[in-house]
Amino acid sequence: MIGKWIGKRMVMGLIVLFIVSFLSFFIMQVAPGDPAIAFYGGNAQTLTAAEIERITRAYALDRPVAEQYVAWLGETVKGNLGISYKEGRPVFEIIMERLPNTVLLFSVTMFCIVIGSLWLGTVAGMRANSIWDRGLSTISIATSSIPPFWLGILFIYVFAVSLGILPSSGSGDVGGNGGMVDKIRHLIMPASVMIVTHVGIYARFLQESIKRENGQYYVKVARANGVLERSIRNGIVRNASIPYLNYIAMTIPSFFGGSIIVESLFAWSGIGQLTVKAVVTKDFPLLMGSIMVTGVLVVITLFIVDLIMYAIDPKLRKGGIR
Amino acid sequence: MKLRKALLFWYSLLGLIVLLTVFSTILAPYSPNDMNMDEIYSAPSSDHWLGTDHLGRDVFSRLLEGGKVTLVVASGSVILSLFIGVVYGGISGYFGGVIDTVMMRLLEALITIPALIIILVFQVIIQGGMWSMALLIGLTGWLVTARIVRSEFIRLKEEEFVKMANMLGTPVWNILWSHLLRNSIPAIFVVTLFNFAAAIFMEVSLSFLGIGIPPAIPSWGNMLYYAQNDILIGAWWIGLFPGIMIFLTILAINFIGEAWKNPERRRVND
Amino acid sequence: MIEVRDLSIHIQGKHITHHMDFTIPRGNITSLIGESGSGKSLTVSALLGMLPDDAKVSGSIMYEDRNVLDASDQEMENVRKQDIFTIFQDASNSFNPSVKMGRQLYAFSGERVGDSLQVFNEKMHVILDKLGLGWEVVEQYPFQLSGGMLQRCMIACAFYVEPALLIADEPTSALDMVLQKEFIQLLIRLNEEKGTTIFLITHDLDIVAEAAHEMIVMQQGRIVETGKVETIFSHPQHAYTKRLLESRF
Repeated sequence: MIGKWIGKRMVMGLIVLFIVSFLSFFIMQVAPGDPAIAFYGGNAQTLTAAEIERITRAYALDRPVAEQYVAWLGETVKGNLGISYKEGRPVFEIIMERLPNTVLLFSVTMFCIVIGSLWLGTVAGMRANSIWDRGLSTISIATSSIPPFWLGILFIYVFAVSLGILPSSGSGDVGGNGGMVDKIRHLIMPASVMIVTHVGIYARFLQESIKRENGQYYVKVARANGVLERSIRNGIVRNASIPYLNYIAMTIPSFFGGSIIVESLFAWSGIGQLTVKAVVTKDFPLLMGSIMVTGVLVVITLFIVDLIMYAIDPKLRKGGIR
Repeated sequence: MKLRKALLFWYSLLGLIVLLTVFSTILAPYSPNDMNMDEIYSAPSSDHWLGTDHLGRDVFSRLLEGGKVTLVVASGSVILSLFIGVVYGGISGYFGGVIDTVMMRLLEALITIPALIIILVFQVIIQGGMWSMALLIGLTGWLVTARIVRSEFIRLKEEEFVKMANMLGTPVWNILWSHLLRNSIPAIFVVTLFNFAAAIFMEVSLSFLGIGIPPAIPSWGNMLYYAQNDILIGAWWIGLFPGIMIFLTILAINFIGEAWKNPERRRVND
Repeated sequence: MIEVRDLSIHIQGKHITHHMDFTIPRGNITSLIGESGSGKSLTVSALLGMLPDDAKVSGSIMYEDRNVLDASDQEMENVRKQDIFTIFQDASNSFNPSVKMGRQLYAFSGERVGDSLQVFNEKMHVILDKLGLGWEVVEQYPFQLSGGMLQRCMIACAFYVEPALLIADEPTSALDMVLQKEFIQLLIRLNEEKGTTIFLITHDLDIVAEAAHEMIVMQQGRIVETGKVETIFSHPQHAYTKRLLESRF
């Protein structure tokens, strides 16, 4: 059962990556000048005729577009993402330097959002019509209407400019001697901006699905029979978390989009900031690489969410309904 | 009763914002692009209600003009995404079967790719003005609409009156138009409202990154782009007010959308 | 054990029950019979102190010197936990679909009486054997078991808890004939072995004839007749009861 299910998910992930790779390849095609030279960016002038010949062969540049795509895809899968136009270094290397920062920011924010929304959503959902219930419904709409980068600007003004207690930008690795504490100090603002603007809407979704679950027949039966409230609540949250996880999976792409902007604002040197920089400086190989990596990140994250769902929902495992 | 009042408030707020921006040319005390190098970074005062920016331009005037640009771009893109979404979702929902499966798989894959990434890619190539921005946001914003239209069509197709119409030999276009589409309007309206909020978000985000609307045209996002640096020297007014406008606009749309969503949900369950 | 006096319930201006008077004597099986929609399920909710928020009630339900309708939520929660076990109609929806049966059986029985998991495992093992359910059900999820098995799991918990009062709200209506018979036998066994008072709600006269000592006949929210089962079967007073009895054969 699990084999079949994972297989289906993998195929979906591959389709997504194919579309992303088309996008990326499309950039190479429309980039000005000879694609191969564009791909080798700033080093193009220094290439000898023999090297150009080699590149042309490797990327099948004298062949039809379809074959070029296959050749390019082959190189990409091997980890050869070309050379950055601006930095003159392999794109793969640059991305690998940046990747830990993005993963750190993403996992810290996602972790806090999940914990926070589980707590808020459960408290509000289990007490229908309480202040918590109505309060969360309103506040979540309000917080999700705040543009994250604007909140970031306000944060910078308050905490960096006025109070001077937090660094306004960077990810702490410039001097390289700050260690963990420095890293955390840099992380606080970008992470809290993402958390504040997202936790409410996730909590609200959970709250709604808990309220729906709370009206289920089995809950009535359990209450009538003096089952401990704690056991009832755990059961409800477990069931309500299945649509909640689905919702997380659905919103993860736009969450990645949001973190691109927040990374740029705080000059957090991750993949998102890199992508924007590549667009602004028209560094095509770098842009192609960042897009591919973002695609891979999204697909991996979704796969993890799927695995969690698989673990929680016995119906998926036992091949019941759905 | 209380809810109605609140809703009325959000309608009025949204209406007010739209009116302010529509009549920006009349209402603005200065021309939005008038530079005054003697008055750069002046804080809010009776001359400049909301202060001036790094080129001495009046923030209030730019706020009104910028709102117009932002709202026009958002509206244009929403109309486009509505059209694509209805056509795509309609075809998928009406025909069903293999067509539906293939179209929905493709849609699921597309939904997985952050829209911002797609727009970035095209923006680096086109680098156009307002309208190309609207085009790009519209081209990436139709996915949810398509999904809703599809599920509405599938639901309605099974309804008695549609089956009747089919049996009576009503022409296909008539069924599509007067039965399926007309009855999907409430759901489409709600998703379009939320789409509108998302489009505003997208425009301001891109312009904020400096890769959206060209810097020469004021928009709420562009104003925030400069605010990033201005805030560091303490000029808080440049960033504060456009943000408040964006926040209030999206807030109003979201509350209106929620209010429309709920009776809709009840109706479907009945 | 329970005395209901002048009980009227209405929800959103609609009368569900009118001035009901009846008694549930201790140690007996009392059956409430009436067609669906006659207000039986809401009466059960009232007995349990679990009426929906928008319900308005008048009258009294005395449960051992205590009026259920005046008791606080907390008090009723304790009463339900200590004295009452309720089996509902729809067994296949009575359990949380994503939690293993073992955990849920424990929540319904051992946990509520304060037994440790070990004690529960030993005791439940014996009961499941007695009811013809294998121990392996504890490793399964509700959707892997049939309605009949789930209902037997419920009664297994009742056997475990040995409540002072067992309320069974149409427990067999989702089961087929053979399972129905079996289930009723289990109820009778519980009554005879443990002396459990049972309040059995049903629309099926055969079940009443087979199991109950006392019966209450309900029609459109009103009690039309109460008494010993034999008496009512041989000398029905009310027209509705007569009709019911006639249609039985």
